[in-house]
Amino acid sequence: MSRDRREGADGSASARARWALVRRELASLRSEKTILLAISIQLFIAGFSSFLVVGLVAMYDPAGVEEYELEVAVTGEDRDALVAVAEDRPELSARSVDRGTATEAFEAGGVAAVLDANRDGDGRLVVRVTAPEGGLETTLLIVQLRETLETVEHTERVERADRLENPPLDPPDGGQASPYVEFTYTVLLPLLLFLPAFVSGSIAVDSTSEERRRGTLELLCVGPPSLGDVVEAKLLAAAVLAPLQAALWLSLLVANGIAVANVTALVLLVAGLAALVVSAGVSVALFASDRREAQLLYSGGLVAALVVAALFPQHPANVIARLAVGAPTATTWLLVSAICVAGIGAVLALRAGVRRLGPEGL
Amino acid sequence: MSLSRPGERGSDRLRSAVARLRAGGVRTVRIARWELTRSVETVDRRTAVALLVVLLLAGSGGLVAVDRGIGLEDGIYRAGVVDDGPYAEVAAGSDRFVVVETAPDEFRRGEADVDLLVTSTGELVPADTETGRAAAGAYREAVEDHNEALMSLESDPAAAYPVLVTVEYRPRVSFDGEGTPAGGESTSDGDDGTSAGEESTSDGEGKPAEEESTSDGDDGPSTDDASLGVPDVGGGLEGTDRPNSPGALSPPFPFESLVLAFLFVVPMNVVIQAYGSTILDERIGRRGELLLVSPASPGEIVLGKSLPYALGLVAIVVVIAAAIGGGPISVAATVPLALAFLSATFVGAMLARSFKELTFVTVAISVGLTTYVFVPAVFADVTPIALVSPLTLVVWELSGDPVAIGQYLFSTAPFYLGSAVCVLFGLGLYREEDMFAQKPVPAKALDALSVRLGGYPSVAVLPVLLLPFVFGAQLLAVSLLFVVPEAVALPTLILIAAAIEELAKSVGVYAGFARSRFEPSLGLAAVLGTLSGVGFFLGEKLTHAVQFVGLRELFVGQVVFGPELAGGPALLAALVFAPLVLHVLTAAVAAIGASRGRAGYAVGLCLATLLHAAYNLGVITLVA
Repeated sequence: MSRDRREGADGSASARARWALVRRELASLRSEKTILLAISIQLFIAGFSSFLVVGLVAMYDPAGVEEYELEVAVTGEDRDALVAVAEDRPELSARSVDRGTATEAFEAGGVAAVLDANRDGDGRLVVRVTAPEGGLETTLLIVQLRETLETVEHTERVERADRLENPPLDPPDGGQASPYVEFTYTVLLPLLLFLPAFVSGSIAVDSTSEERRRGTLELLCVGPPSLGDVVEAKLLAAAVLAPLQAALWLSLLVANGIAVANVTALVLLVAGLAALVVSAGVSVALFASDRREAQLLYSGGLVAALVVAALFPQHPANVIARLAVGAPTATTWLLVSAICVAGIGAVLALRAGVRRLGPEGL
Repeated sequence: MSLSRPGERGSDRLRSAVARLRAGGVRTVRIARWELTRSVETVDRRTAVALLVVLLLAGSGGLVAVDRGIGLEDGIYRAGVVDDGPYAEVAAGSDRFVVVETAPDEFRRGEADVDLLVTSTGELVPADTETGRAAAGAYREAVEDHNEALMSLESDPAAAYPVLVTVEYRPRVSFDGEGTPAGGESTSDGDDGTSAGEESTSDGEGKPAEEESTSDGDDGPSTDDASLGVPDVGGGLEGTDRPNSPGALSPPFPFESLVLAFLFVVPMNVVIQAYGSTILDERIGRRGELLLVSPASPGEIVLGKSLPYALGLVAIVVVIAAAIGGGPISVAATVPLALAFLSATFVGAMLARSFKELTFVTVAISVGLTTYVFVPAVFADVTPIALVSPLTLVVWELSGDPVAIGQYLFSTAPFYLGSAVCVLFGLGLYREEDMFAQKPVPAKALDALSVRLGGYPSVAVLPVLLLPFVFGAQLLAVSLLFVVPEAVALPTLILIAAAIEELAKSVGVYAGFARSRFEPSLGLAAVLGTLSGVGFFLGEKLTHAVQFVGLRELFVGQVVFGPELAGGPALLAALVFAPLVLHVLTAAVAAIGASRGRAGYAVGLCLATLLHAAYNLGVITLVA
């Protein structure tokens, strides 16, 4: 009985066998609670990166410490420019005092810093800042002073506009930019959508290399399903999880009031990516001699792929950001379809490769 | 035997002990060598070539990526512009914006699909969305970048960079301590022995070369300075005392050192993957049984299998330290970290049932340990809490700050102790019935604990063994809640700290009941609870070494380590014995719960946690 005829004759049996294999894979994930661990790790990573960004931004953000007003002492010959600019800034108040008072106040902790402003021979304003060493307050202070001094710098530049070939543009009144928006779309979302695909790939690597190690892969092929069926089942089980998780993350984000555009396209993109990554994982596991090598090759390959993807006109992470924020270009759509096509192609290639390999090639 | 030869018998015993030790050492080394050769042999030529290709790809791609940038933020905002004015040019020149030609009327009617409208006079009209507001902020930044780019092309530096800034960091001299620091000379840098006057003016790129000459030439201000008591850093440091434009000001954040310190953690994450594989490999298809029945003890087997990985990591750490300019402190700080990674992975590989599970266990270890060492190190310059992480020591060494031996012990002791305890528990599982059985992870964890339970004293010892983890978990909680407002952080922290301590005290007792080491009677449960409470109390007193590093200065630190002991002897005695009573009481509650099975244990644990938290809250409000 040739293999082809058998497949044609009871294709439904083969499909049933495959379905049983998929269920077996998923059941093993469920009984080991692996998937729960995977999801909690992803949550932790997302929460942790948000914590870092939100925490650090809150630390440096003057708006985050509203009741906190820094007071600095300004001394020197040309203090007017500094004092005038500081008056417009609610977070910073400048006191114009003589030197002795300033030093005393600094030592006593009455002022956060001493600014000494003088003109040099070229008419430049030379500001010497004395700040307390270390501590959170100094960090805040420097951020505040930088913004104030940049405003002073701009005013001074405009006064010298006739000496400049291209005078600077006035910065528009833009209000406070929220750093969270950019972080959400360019870091958090790509992270949350990539991770499920990478996790699925890793599951496929482990599952395949373990079956090879235990010798159960050969055992399975003695039964009705062919090696192709087994591999496909593994592929399907792992790849299906990724878009499901992606959908979960997206709905969580939306529930938290973050607008996400093109949800369907994003989930499709993850599905394509997962198909690509999982077939790569299964091939690596069939190729490498043990799990250590397989994981090494797989993770090394992933890093390499992410780096090499920077050569694309838009990095996949950028594709996700553009889609989610609702500003996709024609290139973005082209890349989305390219990734989906590549995913399907990888699955087909793996299937053809496994047919050629056969159980004897393991 | 006759009584006349005890000395000889003693030396015989000594000799045989030495012989046993030598034989054990030989076996360990043999297993280590075997592990090494097998690892090298399994990497066949195909895989080696594939790895090489991957590395080459990543390397060459990385070079291009560094050159071009990954461009994560490219094109995420759509800016509507009216005409080709200079402001439209800014939007077109910025990577973040996709420029769309938009009529103002169209925008006002809400028909234009843009986040932001830039009028020809540079006025911004953001769309009424989060993205719109973010786009306005990003546009403002783009204008500033555009200005900087213009200025760097100018030929008149005095007009392009009209403001020059230097920052000097100076410790505040306490007022009554050293007299009024009116005279400039008395407060000159270095007097206090601290590293004063670290100049942080970053070397501005693209600044005109004439800056140095202007800074040398400004005699006027610098003489003023001397009389002001804001000392000039002095002639020797003129190179670093260079004034810069305000844009180059950066807060004293040791970002670079932090990234460098992170380099140590990356190889550890890779090595533990391989290490976990080799340990789990022994457990698949009963392969490890052959070694287990050999004369080698489980300790020798594990040591032998781990030795190549541990030595490899030490070698990697030394190489990295040498490459980034770190010294012995960096190596000494990161070796315990490597040990912690390996020992945690060992336990993980003993618990995991399959490769899949192992992957997630190792990833969880990677993420957990990396967070634990990375988060506190972010605050290396800010607060003493940063010392929780050994990476802080690396950051300090790289930025030239001194490290005291007490600080070293404080930040690495939990890692040394924790690794030792992990190995101890892992070895408890290195036996036939656990290695080759498909038991769930919690059941195996209970096995690992119950193996260590011999008699009553061991019940008191177990919580002490768990102390490093209690310590680590609480410190992690403190550093995670560091930035959260105190009103939220304190109650959360009190609850978490209580829960962790109660779990550590009672889990051993629960393991004993669950594995039928003890009779589940009420009286025995109370006795066991008392024992574990006393043990934990004594162990906790050890943590008072914490006082030396001044961690108590932080209010959040007090929640975990208890308030400063102060006041009369009566209060002192109360403060010492009240915790003892508390620990015994709560441990007994949890132990009684544990004797009633799983659900009972959960209830008992919750009760004990609430009691403990209430007590802590009471003490804090009483003292503070």
